[in-house]
Amino acid sequence: MPRLRLGDWVDSGVDWLVAHMGWLFDAIKAVVEGMYDGVNAVLTAPEPLLLAGILAVLAWWLRGLVAGVLGFAGFALVDSLDLWDRAMSTLALVLVATVIALVISIPLGIWAARSKAVSAAVRPVLDLLQTMPSMVLLIPAILFFGLGTAAGVIATLIFALAPGVRMTELGIRQVDAELVEAAEAFGTTPRDTLLRVQLPLALPTIMAGINQVIMLSLSMVVIAGMVGTGGLGGAVNEAIGQLDIGFGFEAGVGIVVLAIYLDRITGALGAQISPLGRRTAAKARAAGGTKVWNHRPRPVVAVAGVAVLALVAGGLGVFGPTAGTAEASATNVGKGKEIKLGYIPWDEGIASTYLWKELLEQRGFKVTTTQYAAGPLYTGVATGQLDFQTDAWLPTTHAEYWKKYGNRLEDLGSWYGPTSLELSVPSYVKGVDSLEDLKGNAAKFKGRIIGIEPSAGMMGMLKDKVLKEYGLQGEYDVVDGSTPAMLAELKRAYAKKEPVVVTLWSPHWAYSDYDLNKLKDPKGAWGKGDGVHTLARKGFAADNPEVGKWLKDFSMTERQLTGLESQITKAGKGKEQDAVRTWLKQNPGLLDQWAPVAGSEHKSQAAG
Amino acid sequence: MSARLEAEHLHKVFGRRPQESVERLRQGADREELRADGITAAVIDASFTVEPGQIFVVMGLSGSGKSTLLRMLNGLLEPTAGHVRFDGQDLTALSDRELRQVRAKKISMVFQHFALFPHRSVLENAAYGLAVQGVPRAEREKRAGEALALCGLAGWEKSWPDELSGGMQQRVGLARALATDADLLLMDESFSALDPLIRRDMQDQLLELQRTLKKTIVFITHDLNEAMRLGDRIAVMRDGRIVQTGSAEDILLRPANDYVASFIQDVDRSRVLTASALMDTSVTAGAPLCACETATRDTTFAELCAISARLSHRVSVVDEDNKVIGVVPRQRLVGFLGDESAEPAPCDSPEGKVIAHA
Repeated sequence: MPRLRLGDWVDSGVDWLVAHMGWLFDAIKAVVEGMYDGVNAVLTAPEPLLLAGILAVLAWWLRGLVAGVLGFAGFALVDSLDLWDRAMSTLALVLVATVIALVISIPLGIWAARSKAVSAAVRPVLDLLQTMPSMVLLIPAILFFGLGTAAGVIATLIFALAPGVRMTELGIRQVDAELVEAAEAFGTTPRDTLLRVQLPLALPTIMAGINQVIMLSLSMVVIAGMVGTGGLGGAVNEAIGQLDIGFGFEAGVGIVVLAIYLDRITGALGAQISPLGRRTAAKARAAGGTKVWNHRPRPVVAVAGVAVLALVAGGLGVFGPTAGTAEASATNVGKGKEIKLGYIPWDEGIASTYLWKELLEQRGFKVTTTQYAAGPLYTGVATGQLDFQTDAWLPTTHAEYWKKYGNRLEDLGSWYGPTSLELSVPSYVKGVDSLEDLKGNAAKFKGRIIGIEPSAGMMGMLKDKVLKEYGLQGEYDVVDGSTPAMLAELKRAYAKKEPVVVTLWSPHWAYSDYDLNKLKDPKGAWGKGDGVHTLARKGFAADNPEVGKWLKDFSMTERQLTGLESQITKAGKGKEQDAVRTWLKQNPGLLDQWAPVAGSEHKSQAAG
Repeated sequence: MSARLEAEHLHKVFGRRPQESVERLRQGADREELRADGITAAVIDASFTVEPGQIFVVMGLSGSGKSTLLRMLNGLLEPTAGHVRFDGQDLTALSDRELRQVRAKKISMVFQHFALFPHRSVLENAAYGLAVQGVPRAEREKRAGEALALCGLAGWEKSWPDELSGGMQQRVGLARALATDADLLLMDESFSALDPLIRRDMQDQLLELQRTLKKTIVFITHDLNEAMRLGDRIAVMRDGRIVQTGSAEDILLRPANDYVASFIQDVDRSRVLTASALMDTSVTAGAPLCACETATRDTTFAELCAISARLSHRVSVVDEDNKVIGVVPRQRLVGFLGDESAEPAPCDSPEGKVIAHA
């Protein structure tokens, strides 16, 4: 069979789109981000508990008192977990994605219901969108829309589109043909037949579709978190990346609260809007009698309640934070210029990123930092969405990314090195000190070497070179997975004192948490270690000559790096920058060493 | 008086190249030949006229094309060939828009499974046709209420369709059709889904309404008894063609072919036949000779038997001016039941009487 170059065609297709349709994507991006910012601003304006109250009244009206109380409790929980802003950001993302998905899918579903040809054409496209693994769609979305909300919303809505279209089509097709004929027999126009007969009767099914759209959007936000949409999805990603089970669970609970609330509300909304649903509800009420916990405020009361709470909320929102005034001084090199950093949740990445955030802010720049997976991070820098990242392991570990994006990146040099790659075993595994000792010991380790992401350069080296050199092929299987999974397996095995071989690298915090033996590599199969490089987008150094020079000259010793990392670990999550400040105070002079300013001498001269 | 509704050589063919198929049918191809080519000839060369105020029944088994024929009469289906004239207007020549106007104002329809809108109340259902015409709410609710009252549903306006029995639901369907004041009512197996007792009630009610409203009605049914009961004229359809058109008596007494003959075997003649078919027209007179009960042309067989039982002599049949236009001897009534039309054979007993021995 000849090799079909499907992948190449897609590649060049995507490149062509990026090159020629940029204006279209920019326009879409502007609309999506505008909507998101608007919704998010509305959601975050009021005090959290006030908004929780508004949402609870809504639930009370639609479902009853119990739902209202539980809704309030759920949102209060989210607030007390310190996840309010993230939850609102996720809610805004889901709402925007849902609204856009419905604007597209309902008309499409109506069209498909009325034309067999359209239905036949739409179905395979929906199958494709729904079943294509979401990460596959996410990377092109970054290329088209850049990192951030727009890419996340688009990827989410593409995934969530299908049930909206399908259920609309199904709902309309399910309407009794005799009813449609009756409408026509009385001279109803096609448009009125749709509006007066088909849509009202299809409404319960369509509402079920809307419910599905929302639920799918919500399930997508975690994946969308990988492209920097932030919110609860971002929180889950950070937690997974750093193996922070507790934080991951909290963020997960936040998503669950949102999911249950949205599910119940849209379900009840369906019953409220659809005439048939209203009748069923009225019947049930008549049969069940009135009880306090079934009591629901009349729509007018509910609307008034929401309006009053909203007004109070709006009033409080006015006293939002006001922008601080920028201090003009000679050290203010950046003058408020924005620099966007991205990082992989590896310890040296977090440490160096927050270090530079602090250094640059001291120099008057406005710095944002966002966590990504490696793929999106490289894509982001290569497309200019991010300014630089400090955690590129070159030439080996990130070789694949460098091959793909190297020509669109600027290497600002290595600031730490050499690093090393190795296989490690817990020190309680006796008699295995070198790669050579693995031979013949497969039974002990169940023939498994716990690997990380198969895309990592290290995994290629392990499979193609290291195992061959030491004659371990056939004896050991390398288990593909992910870094968090590898670390979780290590943690599990370590707790039970089971023998385990893992792929690791130095520097890594695992060496300080666990007592591990790096297996010696007498044949030098792993090659020389990588350097940790800083990579910037093309043109960054030219745009910011000072920063470019600082980054090129930047280097850290092992003592400095481990010291900073342990400071950050001690401070805990969310206090990374405080840890950096403390550490810089303990190590005075580093600020001026790493980010020297001519003005500081000038100022001292003037003073003298 | 000119015909209100006229169908001329109507054809409906489903499948590819329908016009070509119609041409083949005209040249004598039959339905089976077309079916082999994947083409369905639902209605073939149907022509008939319906006079104002008449109930015209199209009778046929399922698959005979009667529902397709009905749907061509109000343009829900476009005829492949032929014309439909309604009040002299050729419906097949109208645009979609004009056709919708005609359907909204002049032709209404009653369906087999009632086709009531479940999301509208009984009153809103009855008012549907008026709402489509854009009649203001107050007026359409008034007219819909009147139509409901006419159909015996006063007081049920606020109910919902699913709260009513089948018979009542179909009354709503009928009220919806009557509310628009359409001249032509198309009824598609409207009573077939009802159980027999209710069906009879509905037939009676329809006849009762028809006496005062004098609508022109095309009624589809697969039930010959119903056809005979309701129809002023009846068309029998088979395999897409109309095989006979005529009054109930025409069909019962003079079936056009074996198919129709086999069809009418099980018909309850006593309900269908009337004095006009039974009477001996050789006896006429200016007025009845006695003051005894008389019958009219439309008196049914069952009633004739009852009258005959009360009289000691033949039943006189009189017209509007009380002239005797014929007589019905008891002999004939008995003969009809036994399908015997010959004169009685003479008896060898001189008195002509059978004496019972103890």
